[in-house]
Amino acid sequence: MTYGKFVSRPPVVCRVRFLFPLCLLVATPLGAVDYVRDVLPLMSRFGCNGSACHGKADGQNGFKISIFGADPAADHEAITRQSRGRRIMLTAPEHSLLLRKAAGEVPHAGGSRMKTGSREYTILRDWVAQGAPFATEGRAEIASLTVEPVERVMTFGQKQPLRVKAVLSDGTEQDVTWLAQFQSNDNAIAEVSERGEVTTGSAVGQAAVMARYLGRIAIFHAIVPRPGEAVAANAETFNELDEHVQAKLRKMNLQASAVADDATFLRRVTLDLIGRLPTVNEARAFLQSTAQDKRARLVDALLDKPEFADFWALKWADLLRVDRLVLDHHAAHDYHSWIRTAVAENRPLDVFARDLLTAQGPLEEQPAGYFFKVAKKPGEMAASLSQVFLGVRINCAECHQHPTDRWTQRDYHGMRAFFEQVSYKKAGGAEALIIQGNPQVKHPRTKEVVQPYALGTTMPESAPDGDRRAALAQWMTAPENPWFARNMANRLWAHFMGRGVVEPVDDFRATNPPSNPALLDALTRRLIEQKFDARALIRLITASLTYQLSATPNTTNENDTQNFSRAVFRRLPAESLLDAVCDVTGVPEKFSGVPANTRAVELWDSQQQHYFLKLFGRPSRTTPCVCERSTGASISQALHLMNSPNLQNKLAHAGGRLTQLVSMSDAQIIEELWLVCFSRFPDETERQQAMEHLSTRQDKRRQSIEDLAWSLLNTVEFVFNH
Amino acid sequence: MNTSPFCDGLSRRSFLRVGAASTLGAQFSLGGLLQAESAVKTATRGDVSFIFVFLRGGLSTIDTFDMKPDAPDTIRGEFKPVRTKVPGIHICDQLPRIGGVMDQFSLIRSFTHQNAGHGHADHYMMTGYHPTAAFNGSLTPNNEHPCMGSVIASKLGARGSIPPYVCLPTLHPSGSSAYLGPNAAPFTIEADPNSPGFQVPDLMPPLSIDAQRLEDRRGLLSKVDRFQCSIEQKANAAARDLGVFSQRAVSLMTSKEAKQAFNLQAEDEKLRDAYGRNTLGQSCLMARRLVESGVRCVTIEHQNWDTHYGQFPTLKDDLLPKLDNAISTLFTDLRQRGMLKKTLVVITGEFGRTPKISKEGGRDHWSRCFTVALGGGGIQGGRVVGQSDKIASDPADSPYGPEDLCATVYSLLGISPHDEMHTPEGRPVMLTNNGRVIKELI
Repeated sequence: MTYGKFVSRPPVVCRVRFLFPLCLLVATPLGAVDYVRDVLPLMSRFGCNGSACHGKADGQNGFKISIFGADPAADHEAITRQSRGRRIMLTAPEHSLLLRKAAGEVPHAGGSRMKTGSREYTILRDWVAQGAPFATEGRAEIASLTVEPVERVMTFGQKQPLRVKAVLSDGTEQDVTWLAQFQSNDNAIAEVSERGEVTTGSAVGQAAVMARYLGRIAIFHAIVPRPGEAVAANAETFNELDEHVQAKLRKMNLQASAVADDATFLRRVTLDLIGRLPTVNEARAFLQSTAQDKRARLVDALLDKPEFADFWALKWADLLRVDRLVLDHHAAHDYHSWIRTAVAENRPLDVFARDLLTAQGPLEEQPAGYFFKVAKKPGEMAASLSQVFLGVRINCAECHQHPTDRWTQRDYHGMRAFFEQVSYKKAGGAEALIIQGNPQVKHPRTKEVVQPYALGTTMPESAPDGDRRAALAQWMTAPENPWFARNMANRLWAHFMGRGVVEPVDDFRATNPPSNPALLDALTRRLIEQKFDARALIRLITASLTYQLSATPNTTNENDTQNFSRAVFRRLPAESLLDAVCDVTGVPEKFSGVPANTRAVELWDSQQQHYFLKLFGRPSRTTPCVCERSTGASISQALHLMNSPNLQNKLAHAGGRLTQLVSMSDAQIIEELWLVCFSRFPDETERQQAMEHLSTRQDKRRQSIEDLAWSLLNTVEFVFNH
Repeated sequence: MNTSPFCDGLSRRSFLRVGAASTLGAQFSLGGLLQAESAVKTATRGDVSFIFVFLRGGLSTIDTFDMKPDAPDTIRGEFKPVRTKVPGIHICDQLPRIGGVMDQFSLIRSFTHQNAGHGHADHYMMTGYHPTAAFNGSLTPNNEHPCMGSVIASKLGARGSIPPYVCLPTLHPSGSSAYLGPNAAPFTIEADPNSPGFQVPDLMPPLSIDAQRLEDRRGLLSKVDRFQCSIEQKANAAARDLGVFSQRAVSLMTSKEAKQAFNLQAEDEKLRDAYGRNTLGQSCLMARRLVESGVRCVTIEHQNWDTHYGQFPTLKDDLLPKLDNAISTLFTDLRQRGMLKKTLVVITGEFGRTPKISKEGGRDHWSRCFTVALGGGGIQGGRVVGQSDKIASDPADSPYGPEDLCATVYSLLGISPHDEMHTPEGRPVMLTNNGRVIKELI
């Protein structure tokens, strides 16, 4: 059996060809060479321990090492002892299979990773020659990793070499640039070569370039402002948030758009706060009002509406996975009601999180406990709660070190250990969540006992007494927790701006930095000062100029998506869009199993069979990821809005809005339709065109009104929040 | 006044003509133009179409196309290999009709890749690119790279008014266009072709809306849609996408080809029976109709092949009879219509299944070695490429992977596998990740 012809194509990280000059003036490590400090970084840099090469579960062609070098001892064993020790040859290091494969001297599925005689080659050879030691006694440990420079404002197509330094425990520094791995989070803005040379592209924005060495990470920020004449300083700000946004815009040489008009603000803020369009009367009243503070008053009024609770409960029900198929009808309904109640009474977010995290007792009385039924396994509970409440994804670390974050398998299982006591007891048909025993969690690889400990904290000697979750909840919701308040503030900001300061919102990590740290700090501080009152922070956000900016771009910010220099178009979520169609036509949708006149936003069951809702991206709630809800477009969506018989029936319905319009004058009809669809009056051209349309078909008046309404429902202006 | 409903200037006038033709059944026909065009061209770039039958969950090829009768009980399975139309090639006794068309297609028995998880492997097989660490398989679509259908759509464009790439009956999670954008995204029919009275939802306006009225509506829409073609739309990708999709929706609903292609009722009842009155059978028939009317790539996303538990009764009584009828009829039908040389058919799951039969009487995921079946479109029939080892655990020779499958498909469709595609930022990405064309098949 031969694999001679096998050319495997592992992912890119594994495919980089090694082209390194011999003569770099960098400190050579050492006389003594050992595995942990000298060989392992090379194995990582060559991609040997990547998930598509020898690092995957089955290894590659019989040679298996741990993913990303998570288990150096086992890897050392695999290299030096397994396969009858054929991989190294102490007496003739150059003949070691390890060197010959890596240098491509013999057929190697992963190709040639280094040149014979190169610096890397020399290290591997010396290591074998010295007896392939695992670690060197007394050698200084790595204390920290730094990259230089930390940040640079750059122009298009500019280069910046990075220098990566490891500070050792004895205080000495070592240049490890040539051993580090590099990765940019936005290749359009800045790419990085495997030697650590950053090259900017021709896009405005900022990119974070990660340097990684022996499990440690350092970040370089490439900032590429818009070239050209400096924009005028925009003096206008409505509150503190705008100052941070403006500071960033000046740095990027971007001019914010103008402030949006009243109609745009009304439609935007109503959709964002209560998930539905303003009614005709609401629109008229707001547009006619001359009150100075009418925008703030509108926000206050919307926050008090029951629809606010409906809409935000929907949002939370996605994240906390109210799933009828996993729970059952009653349980899912109760779980949703618990969420809605918490939103309606404006329960502070920290209390909300604690209540959920420590739910205990009969589930009918403590429906928050259904979260644990949905998440099923302790590991999934830990990962879901981290993602939802901390914005930290730890799933990767279940099986191996997180490839772009600091989380280890031990960290994951430390979090998992908080949930091992969760179990259930059935009594008289009812089920109760109980906390049971003192179960131990073992590291799946090292078999060491892992005590419950929270992310970034030190593992204690023993588990806390009683319900371990209580300790986690305490830690999680403390104001000084590094993630909770930041994540909540960021999620709220993202809801209103269409993008988080950290984006994706549930992926906080060093390698995914905030686009505007000062802004995120301010949001976080205010949320803590307001004692986690979500509505108070919503008031602050919606009162900012940044939120109230127009979506009309200027010549400086048309390509900006990172810096909140203009409002972005966001397609209405499936439920809001369906409700909007119903509101325009005045014909409610009928859903099975719920009372008549239930709106789509009020539906607690995301499994409710409904073509429209499915087509427009309602999530199935199989993960706690906010990304499950799709706001993308498709041909089928466009066809549905144009041709759906259901929509035509609503337009033609005898009991609908259009029937009432028939008796009105053309001018009134047009005004009504524009107000209900767009929350604004038609402009003169629009009025004339619509008048012309209605007047030419006097014989088929009803039809012409339907056709006009149909047209409005199919506009970009209707389908989007802008 | 802007009379064009679209930013690229398709005028109201042309809309009226096309709309009237389709809805009133008048003589205007893009099909006629297409036929004229294709009569001129022979075997050049873009002549061949592609039907990708994706058996999601993972077809057990050790029980079907690559049987191991001499392996121990724990591996062998319950079915028997039997002779096929091609001397020397034996396949499973549960696929007699497929055996009867063995001369039409070939088998790669040494197919292999490194990921045995559904979401990841799906992405790998559909796109030729292994997903990265950031991959979220639970999303639909989850594409980090465009799938083959999207690459084909992007490189070759549409033949007339019909979409270049259709995914049926629903979108495969890895079946979308990633950075190639909305123009390369599939049209999905969102309905089961086997359902009684099947039709593509919303392809036509409701009956009460005649051609004139539709025209009036569209004309009106072009006037009131103030963000269409605006600087706001230009600055917002989501709004741009909607514009593109609306335009494509209109060309679809006004297309006579589309209406014909999707009208399964026009098929002979006996032929429909031969394909099999089930989702797979009718999807294959639909695929043939679509290719016949100009679709370049049809991906059939057929589920339920993840046979972990009690697989032999499931395969024997349910899945394999359906597969047998659908695939054998597809090859026969294509050949009889003279379409086989211009239609490449690939049948595969995201991986195969473990050599060892589990305690639950099923087989688990196995990506290290499985068989891919493919024929038509320039593939020589009746060949076997590569061998697996004694228990179909690993390739014994000539290992091929998803990159090679992509390279072969692109090459047969007249697209160079060494060509590049570009992200919206202008970054070039190779169509295949160093894939090799499998020359033994051609």
